[in-house]
This record gives sequence, C-alpha cells and structure tokens, in this order.
Amino acid sequence: MEVKIEKGPGAAAAKVTLQAGEVLTAESGAMIAMSDDLSVETTTHKKNSRGIMKAIKRAISGESFFMNHFTAGPQGGTVYLGSTLPGDMFTYELNGDKLIVQAGSYVGSAHDVNVEFNWQGFKSLFSGESAFWLGVSGKGTVILNSFGAIYSVEVDGDYIVDTGHIVAFQETLNFSIGTAGSSWINSYFGGEGLICRFRGKGTVWCQSHNDNAFGSALTPSLKTR
Amino acid sequence: MENTFEHYIEGRPDFALLTVKIPSGQTLKVEASAMATMDTNLKMKTKMKGGFGRLFTGESIFINDFTAENGAAEIKIAPSAPGDLIHYPLNGSETLYLQSSAFVASAPSVTVNSKWQGFKGFFSGAGLFLAQCTGSGDLWFNSFGGVIEIDVKDSYVVDTGNIVAFTGNLSYTVTRFGGYKSLFFSGEGLVCRFQGEGKVWIQTRKIGPLTSWAHPFRPEGKN
Repeated sequence: MEVKIEKGPGAAAAKVTLQAGEVLTAESGAMIAMSDDLSVETTTHKKNSRGIMKAIKRAISGESFFMNHFTAGPQGGTVYLGSTLPGDMFTYELNGDKLIVQAGSYVGSAHDVNVEFNWQGFKSLFSGESAFWLGVSGKGTVILNSFGAIYSVEVDGDYIVDTGHIVAFQETLNFSIGTAGSSWINSYFGGEGLICRFRGKGTVWCQSHNDNAFGSALTPSLKTR
Repeated sequence: MENTFEHYIEGRPDFALLTVKIPSGQTLKVEASAMATMDTNLKMKTKMKGGFGRLFTGESIFINDFTAENGAAEIKIAPSAPGDLIHYPLNGSETLYLQSSAFVASAPSVTVNSKWQGFKGFFSGAGLFLAQCTGSGDLWFNSFGGVIEIDVKDSYVVDTGNIVAFTGNLSYTVTRFGGYKSLFFSGEGLVCRFQGEGKVWIQTRKIGPLTSWAHPFRPEGKN
C-alpha cells in the first residue's frame, strides 16, 4: 500500500495505491473516487471479525459506526480519500507501536492496523468538546487529517496542549486531562477549554485550528434549527 | 487567436483568483456574482429572457456578459468557494461537462447548455446538474478544495459530490456504492461510474459534509 498526499496543506486528499488483493480500511464517507474493479464492503468493525461492543463504542465516540473496506482486484487499484474540513493530511507507519488519535482525525489505514475505540469519557463530558480517542496499533500505514495545518511537538518531560488542537500522540506518553485555569469556573470564563497534560517522551501532532472553536464562532451567523 | 484571452491565475490551489484581459470590443462570459474587481470601461449585460448571455442550469447559474468598450479592460474573477481554477480551451470538436456550479467564465464562442439529469440525478440528492460546454475558445471552471485530474483508461468511480468536470467522450451511470448495506451505512451515497477513455476532474472537498458539520453549531430555535 502506497499513500501520496495531494493538494495539501489547504485541501489535502490521500491517493492510496493498492497491490492486488490488498485491503484499505477507511472512515465511512471518506472515499472521493476509486478504481472500478475494487470491491467494497461496509462493516461495523474490522473486516472478517466480530465485535459488536467495539462497534457500539464507535457509535458512542461520535465517530461513524461504519467503516468501508476496499479490496483491490487482480490488477491492483487506487482510492482517493478526502475529509470534511479544510486542512492537511499525513501518514504514519506503525511498526508494533501505538498512536492515540482524536476520533475526527482518522481517515484510513492498512488492513493489519487495528483500530480500537477507547472512550476516555467521563472527564471529557464537562468540556462540551467531544474529546474521544481511538487507539491505532499494529503494523502498517495510518492516514490522519487535521483542521488547518499540522505540526508536531517532541515532548520530553511535561507539555500542555489544548484538547481541541490534538490530532494524535504516541502512546509512550502519559496524559491527563484537566483545566487550563486553576478552577473550572476560571477555565470557563478564560475561554480555554480542556487541556491535555502530557508527560514522558514521545511525539504529539497538533492542528493549527480547533474545529469546535470555529463552529462556535459561526453560531451567531447561522440560522436557527 | 480569436476567443483566446490573455489571463493568469493566482492563489492556487486553495484560493484561486482569475484575471482576464479583454481586448477592446470583445466580450467575456462570467458566472453571475463572481466578478471581484474590474476596469470602469467594462459594461455588464444580463439578458432577461434566456438569450445567449444567460443560462439556467437548474441551480440558478446565471451568466453575465462583460464587454470592453473604448479600449482593453481587465477583470478579476473569484468563485464563491475556496478552491482551485482550471483553464480548459475547447477545440471546437469536443464536449466538456461541468457540474453546474463549476462554471466560472468562457469565451462568448463557447456554448453552455444545462442538461437535466432527470431520474438519475434525482436520486443523487447532490443534484447532479450538468452544464454542457461546446464550441471553441477559452473555458475556466472551479472547485471546492483542490482539483485532481484523472485519466480514465477503462472505467473509474467518483462520488457524485466530488465531480467537477469530465470530457464528453466518457459515458457514465449513476449507481449506488457497494452492496445494499453500503448504500445505507457507507456514508457514500451515490457514485458516478465513468466508462471509456477520457478525463475526469475531481475536487478534494464536498459542500454537503461541510454543511452537515456546521449543523450542530446552529442556534436552537425558540419553540
């Protein structure tokens, strides 16, 4: 599986070239275009496996309940994947390690990559932001997208990132979610939502813009539901 | 050369802006509301009753004529969606289909006809209205997001919402994506299956998912 990111950083799409019989798993709705002879299967979980609890967790996490699996025919094939908001994409090669990914940033992955749906839940509920995380592990390529530009931060020690700006981070980092201010009230009025405090050694990928903040900025201009 | 305009495109691929120089006495067709700036000697004409200058493609795409009077003039044209612009000179013997909101500007010698997709288009939800462009001369079209050009050799599948343009030598059918389960749960809706040999231009973003994303941010109505 070969992935090429095109049209970044403003409106990136991933061109995925598959060898004969290779399988690409993608977030539902991400497919822009593809070879005609690819076969497509929609499942609630990883292809050829069962796991209804995982599928339910996926629904709770706000990430689509369903995933599409594209299998290349004997000639191989291509699939283009896009995302909803303006922004960039990048790939990461997993080699037995694990990334924690903000649910909305997942675009697609090779078949041998396992996507699990952890719900970090209760603490996040207070934020009003949907801070849900996917655990992505195994071996192979993962494709992730951002709202705006992507930059990486090498953490060695302690570092703080606003939860709305996190795309993904290496699992070697410990993290805890808290408030930017000294109290909830302080934090609420300060305009800073929840922050993630990282500890240890590893990489955090951040997005230049926060989609929830952008959406909230649009609210006064939008018509009532 | 006639019906060929001196022009340049800035801000590609995210915020493309088209500048065209119109020689004295000549006319350029421009998508209504796309004019950003222009010289004062350009006269705009909108014909009220379905003349050459105005077209209705089912998505209220209107075209205005801009004519340079008493000397050459310059116009800058900015499509409504952030994205790319493609210049495609038609050679007189071919046809190009545009997703109707993709039309930006053309030489007056290019004929733009709406083509109602009828039953096929109805199912797409995305309103697959096409503008059929024929004739010879300059043509410009735009996208939401980046544009990727695909050379179709045999067949290729494109989500209906990602189609920008395609050459008339391709045949196409609108079908559901995958199996029945995929139709409801894949999130892909309908796709267009192109067959033959030709070119398809696709865009890397779609309007529909963006508006769906914005929906939860709409204020609650007072009931």
